[in-house]
Amino acid sequence: MPLVEPITMSTTLAKGAAAQAQAQAAFSKTAPVFPATTLRPVQIRSTPLAQTARHALPALLAVLFGARFRALVADPVSAMATALPLVAALQVTYAVLCLPAPGSTQGGGGGARKAQKPRPGESIKRRSADAGAPNAVATSLLSLVLSLLVSPFLYAAMILFGAPFLTHSAHTFLCAAHLAVLALFPLFFVHGVDGSAWAVVGSFGAPLDETFGGLLGGVVGAWLGAVPIPLDWDREWQRWPVTILCGLYGGYILGRVVGGTLVWGKSF
Amino acid sequence: MPPPKPPPKNAAAPLPDYKTIAAQWAAAKRAKEVADADRLRKGSSSTSDDATAAAAAAKSDITQEQERMTARERTRARLESGRRRGYQSRWAWTAAFWAWLLCVHAVGIAYFTSGFLLTRLVLEEKSVCAAPPAALGGAVGEGVDGDGGLLPAWPGKGTMEGGCWHPRTFDRAVVVVIDALRYDFAVPVEDDEAFHNAFPFLWETAVREPNRAFLRPFIADPPTTTLQRLKGLTTGTLPTFVDLGSSFSGTAIDEDNLLMQFKDAGKKIVHLGDDTWEALFPGYFEGNLSRAYDSFNVWDLHTVDNGVIEHIFPAMEKRNDWDVLIGHCLGVDHAGHRYGPNHPEMTKKLRQMDGFIRDLADTMDDKTVLIVMGDHGMDSKGDHGGESEDEVEAALWMYSPKGIFGRTKPEYATPPATAKTRPVNQIDLVPTLAMLMGIPIPFNNLGRPIEEAFAGAAGNSWANLAAAERTAAAGIKRYQSSYFTARGIEQTSGPGSPNELWNRAESLISKGKKQDWEAIFSAFAAYQEENLQICKGLWARFDLKNMAIGIAVMALGVIALLVYISKGVDDDAIDDEELDLAEKSLELQGVKPDASETPSDSLERRLISAALLGATPGFLGGVISSFVSGAGDWYRGSGIAALTSIGAVLVSMYELQETITNIFPRTAWGWMAVVFTVSQSIGFASNSYTIWEDSILLFFITTFGFVSALSALKIPSKADRYLAIYHSVVFALLGRVASFSKLCREEQMPYCTSTYYASSTTSTSAPWQLIIPFLVSVILPSILKAYLQPTRSYEGLAPAWIGYVFRTGLFMAALYWVLDAADNGNWIPGLPDKTLKNISVYTAQMVLGLALVAGTTAFVWAPPCVSIVTSASPSEPTRAQVAILGYANAHGARYLLLPLNLLAACILLSKPMGAGALGLMAWQILALLEILDLNNLTTSPIGPVMLAVLGTFHFFKTGHQAVLSTIQWDAAFIPLFTIRYPWSPLILAAAAVPLLVLWKAGPRRRGVLEAVSRALGVFVAYFAVESLATMAWAGHLRRHLMLYRVFGPRFMVAAVVLLVVDVVGIVVSLMGVFGWPE
Repeated sequence: MPLVEPITMSTTLAKGAAAQAQAQAAFSKTAPVFPATTLRPVQIRSTPLAQTARHALPALLAVLFGARFRALVADPVSAMATALPLVAALQVTYAVLCLPAPGSTQGGGGGARKAQKPRPGESIKRRSADAGAPNAVATSLLSLVLSLLVSPFLYAAMILFGAPFLTHSAHTFLCAAHLAVLALFPLFFVHGVDGSAWAVVGSFGAPLDETFGGLLGGVVGAWLGAVPIPLDWDREWQRWPVTILCGLYGGYILGRVVGGTLVWGKSF
Repeated sequence: MPPPKPPPKNAAAPLPDYKTIAAQWAAAKRAKEVADADRLRKGSSSTSDDATAAAAAAKSDITQEQERMTARERTRARLESGRRRGYQSRWAWTAAFWAWLLCVHAVGIAYFTSGFLLTRLVLEEKSVCAAPPAALGGAVGEGVDGDGGLLPAWPGKGTMEGGCWHPRTFDRAVVVVIDALRYDFAVPVEDDEAFHNAFPFLWETAVREPNRAFLRPFIADPPTTTLQRLKGLTTGTLPTFVDLGSSFSGTAIDEDNLLMQFKDAGKKIVHLGDDTWEALFPGYFEGNLSRAYDSFNVWDLHTVDNGVIEHIFPAMEKRNDWDVLIGHCLGVDHAGHRYGPNHPEMTKKLRQMDGFIRDLADTMDDKTVLIVMGDHGMDSKGDHGGESEDEVEAALWMYSPKGIFGRTKPEYATPPATAKTRPVNQIDLVPTLAMLMGIPIPFNNLGRPIEEAFAGAAGNSWANLAAAERTAAAGIKRYQSSYFTARGIEQTSGPGSPNELWNRAESLISKGKKQDWEAIFSAFAAYQEENLQICKGLWARFDLKNMAIGIAVMALGVIALLVYISKGVDDDAIDDEELDLAEKSLELQGVKPDASETPSDSLERRLISAALLGATPGFLGGVISSFVSGAGDWYRGSGIAALTSIGAVLVSMYELQETITNIFPRTAWGWMAVVFTVSQSIGFASNSYTIWEDSILLFFITTFGFVSALSALKIPSKADRYLAIYHSVVFALLGRVASFSKLCREEQMPYCTSTYYASSTTSTSAPWQLIIPFLVSVILPSILKAYLQPTRSYEGLAPAWIGYVFRTGLFMAALYWVLDAADNGNWIPGLPDKTLKNISVYTAQMVLGLALVAGTTAFVWAPPCVSIVTSASPSEPTRAQVAILGYANAHGARYLLLPLNLLAACILLSKPMGAGALGLMAWQILALLEILDLNNLTTSPIGPVMLAVLGTFHFFKTGHQAVLSTIQWDAAFIPLFTIRYPWSPLILAAAAVPLLVLWKAGPRRRGVLEAVSRALGVFVAYFAVESLATMAWAGHLRRHLMLYRVFGPRFMVAAVVLLVVDVVGIVVSLMGVFGWPE
C-alpha cells in the first residue's frame, strides 16, 4: 500500500506506467478502452401493456407537470413535495411494466456480464424469467430507496453549480430528489449497484436507450434550465428552482422517448 | 512585473536543465566506470603476478576511453549549440508572430474605440458682449428704444459693467467645489450613517434665510469624473464619454467657457486646490494668489483641503485683487475612495467642510455671491465615474447676504428632501453665473438659468425670469444653427421639434403692454429642455465606419488565430526515446536534418513575411488615398494595413494546407471549450448575462469539474482514476468556495451581498478578513509541496524557495495588510503620524522585491527541481545505482516558480479577501493541471480555455466588476504611490499557460515552443473572441439604455484584458520558455 498524500490524495509512486499506457492508448486509436465492460441497450418488454405504457407514461408525466406548473410557480416547495410520490409511483409503474425484469435474459438489461454480479433484489429472486413481476416490484422499490439516498449528493452538486448555499435548502433538495427519481431510478432498476456498469454509464460509454437517454436528457435539461435564471424579466417562473425543474422534465421526457426510439442502440 | 528577461548573451550561462542532467549523468557514469576498472584491477592483482602490467593496461584503456569521450563531448556540444541557435531563431519568429497579433488587436480595438466613444464637434465661435443672441431691451411695445427685448432697458446695458445680456447682479463670485459632495450629505436624514447630518450648514441657511441662500440637487451628466465635470460646469455643454483628444495629451479647454469669458472681460481669477483646473485652464489664474495641489494621491485626505482653507481667507481680505475665486476641495472625494462613505474619516471631513463654509459665508458681502457645489456624487463604495443615481446626484448651494434669491412657489421654500425632487442640471450653472455676473453666456451653453437666482426676493419677478430664460434659449438656438450648419444636418421643424417650440414661445410675446410672463418663461424652458434631449441623442453619434473597420480587423484576427492554433500537434507530443536516439546518432554521423523537420520555423517565418508583405500595400494605399482625398485621416492606413496583412497571413496559411475547416474541434472536449467561449460571447448581448457573469463562470467551472470527474471513470489505472475524480471535485469545490468573495455591482442588488469589504458602505476590510492572508501563507506552500511531491519534484531549489522564501513573502504581505488596517483604523493612538504608513510601504516594497526581482533571478538561475541520488544497487551491492528524482515533472516544477513569483506579488496587491481568492485560484490551476494530465488532455483546447475562465472568474472574485467605479485604484498605492491597475488573476492565468504544456512533461518533451505557442493561442483566442463579441454587441446596442452601464464598460474591460493577456503572453510565458532545451 503506497503512502497517500493527504492533499492531492496521490500515491508517491511516479505515474510513469499509467501515463505510458494512456499515451499508447491514445496513440493507437484502436486500443480497447478500459473499462472493457460493454452494456447492451435496454429493450422495452414487448407485451402490449408495456408498449402502451412506454408511450403513455411520459405523456402522463408531461401532463402532470403541465397541470401542476401554476402551483409550482406559486409555491415550489409544496408543489414539488406533493408531486414527488406521484412521480415516484409513475416511475415504479414504468419500471415494473416496461423495463426488462431484473435478471431476465430477455433484452439483457445489464448486458452480458450481469449473470455473475448479484444486484439488489436478486437474493429474493428466483432466476427464472417468468417470475418477474413480484421481483420487479421489490427491485423497483429498492431502486427508489437508492435513488433517494443518492439525492443528497445531487443536492451537493447543485450547490457547487451555484445553487443558494444556506437558503432555499428545501427547494434545492426537492429538486435533487426529482432528478434522482426521474433520471437515476430506471438505471438503478436496470443496473443495481453494479459499479462497472455505472462507470460505463457515468463515462458516457453506455448505448442509448430509454434509461440512459432519460439520464442524459434530464441532466442536460436541468443544466440548460439554469440559463433563464439571470434574465431580468421579473417573471414568477424565474423563481428557483422552477426553470431547473422545467428543463429536467422536458429533457428527461425527450431523452427517454428519443433514446428509446430514434437513436436506440447508438453510443457516443 | 514582467521579469527582466534573460538577455541573449547570458543564455548560455545558466545551463539549461537537460544539460545539467546530462552532465550529472555523465559524471555518474564516469564514476561508475572508474569503479568498475578498480574492481577489475583488484580482482586481477590478487591472482596474477603480472598485476602491474594489467593495471597499466587498464589505465591506458581508461585514458583512451576518456579521450574518446571528450571528442564525443565536443561533437555533442557543437551539435547542442547548433540546436540552441535553431531553437532561438524559432523562438524569435514565434515571438514576432505574437507581436504581430498584438498589433492587430491593438489596431482593431483602437479603431472601434475611435468610432464608439462619442464625438462632438467643437465649435470655434465665442460669445461676445456686443452680439447678444436675442434682442435685449427695452421691452416690446415700450416705444422709442423698444427693440424686441423683454426687459426695460437697464443702465449700462450691453456692457460688462451693467451686464452684457442681462442686468448684472454681483461683482464677485466665490465658487467652492467640494468634490463628490453627494446631495444626501447636505440634507438632514434620520439615520446614524457616518456620512449623514455632518454638514448641516447648507440646509440650515437655505431654510432660515431663503432670500440669502438656496439648496438644490445638482445633477451631473455622466461620465462623473472630475475632469469631464469641470468641462461641463464651465462650458455648459455635455462632455462626450471619453474625449480622446483631450484626456490623453493636451487637456486645456479651447471651447468657449465661463472662465474664458471672465478672462476676456478683464476679470481676475484666483484658483485654489485641485490642479485639474490648472490643466484645463492654463495661464488663466492670478499667479500671486493661486495655489494648485496634486489631485492624484487619493490616499491623502488633507493636503488639498488644508491648502484651500489656509489660502482662501487671506484672499478674501484682498477682495480687490480678484473677481472670481475658485476653491476646489478634494478631501471628501478622497475619503470616499479610500474608506468608502461610511467611515469616521468621512464624518470628520464633512464636519471640517461645514466649519469651512460657515466661516467663508461670514466673510461675504453684498456684492459677492458664494456658490458651493459637488461636481458629482459617489456610489455606496465611495467611487464614481459611472451614471448610477448616487454618482450623478450632487448638491448646489448659493449664498449671498444681498438677499435676492426667491422661490416662485411657497412649497419650494424648504430645499428638496431627496435629489429626486426639483433637481437642476449642472450645465444650468453656466448661464446662471454668466448672467448674474453680467458676462456673455458661453457659446456652447445648453443650460437654462436657475429659477431661484432670478425670481427676485418675493419670488414673483416673472419678467426677469422670462427675459433670462429667453436670452439663454436664444443662445442655444444660435449655437444649434451653427452646429447644424457645421455638420451639414438639416434641422427639423415638425410639431414638437425645437424650432416649433421656439416659434410658439416667440408668438406668446404680445405686442401689447400686458404680457403673460409665466407662460413665456415656461415656453422657453420647454424649448431648452427639448433641445437638451436632442443634443443628448445627437452626441450619441457613433462613427460607424471606424467601428466597422475595428470589428472587421478583430474578426479576421480571430479567424487567423483560430487557423494558427488548429495546426496539427499530436505528432510532436510524445517523447519517443528511440526516435530521439536515432536522430542524435544521425546527427553525429553528420547527416543534416532536412528542412521539413522544423515545420513551425518555416510556418511562423512565412506568416511574418506574409504579414509584412500584406501590410505594406495596405498601409501605402490607405495613406495615399487619404492624401488624395484630402480627408486627413491618414491613420486609416493602419486599419487597411491590418486588414491586408491578416488577409496575406490567411492566404499563406491556406497555402500550407491549413484549411479553414480545421478550426472546428474534433473531440467532445474541444466542443466544450467552444461552447463555453461562444455561449458566453452570445450572452454579452444581454445585460443580465453581463451583470451576472461571475455566477455564469462558476457554472462553467463546476460543469468542467463535473464532466472531468465523469470522464475520469474511463481511466484504466484505479489509483489514477480516483486521483482524477478527486482533483475534479477539488477544482469545482474551490470554485464554489471562491464564489463567496463578492463585490456586487449596483445592478445585482438586491440579490447579492458584498463580502469583499467589511460592509456595503465602506472599502476597508473587516478585521477577521486580515486572517485570510496569514492562512494563505501557511497553507498554500504546503499545497504546492503536495502537488510536487508525487513526482518527487520537491527537490533542488523548490524546498527552499517554496517552503521558505515564498512563504515569507506571503507572510509579509499578510503583515502589510495588518499594518495598513492599523494605520487606517488608528489602532495605536500614540504613534507619530506617518510611522505605520512608512513601515507598511517598506514591507510592501520588500515583498515586491522578493517576488519580482529575487524571484525572477532565482527562476533564471534555478536548476531543475530534480535530485540525483547515487545509491548501492540492491542486486549487486558493489555497483552504484543512479536515480534522478523528479524526472517526470522536471520542467513543470521548474516553470512553476515563475507564476509563483507573480502570485506573491499579486497577493500583496489584493485586499485580504482577494488574497484568499488568488490562493484558491493557484490551487485550482494545479488541480486543473492534474486533471488534464490524468485525462490525457494536455493538447486539448479545453485546458487553456479553462485557464482563461478561471482567470476571468477570479477577476470578479478579487473585488472587481466590469464597471468603471469598481476599479481597485488603491491596489497601486501600496508600494509606489502611483496609480496602476493590476489585473492580477488574468496576469497569473496568462503566466500559467506554459504549465499546461510543461506539467509532468519529462525533459525529453519535444516541441515545447510550438505547444506553448499553441496553448497561448487558445488562451488568447478565448479573450479575443470575448473582446470581439463585446465590441460587436456594444456597437449593435449603441442606443441601448444600458450602454454606458453595462455594454460599454464590459467592452472596455474585455479590450484591456485582451491587450494585457497578449503582453503577458509574450513577456512572461514566451520569455519563460526562452532558452528551452530541444
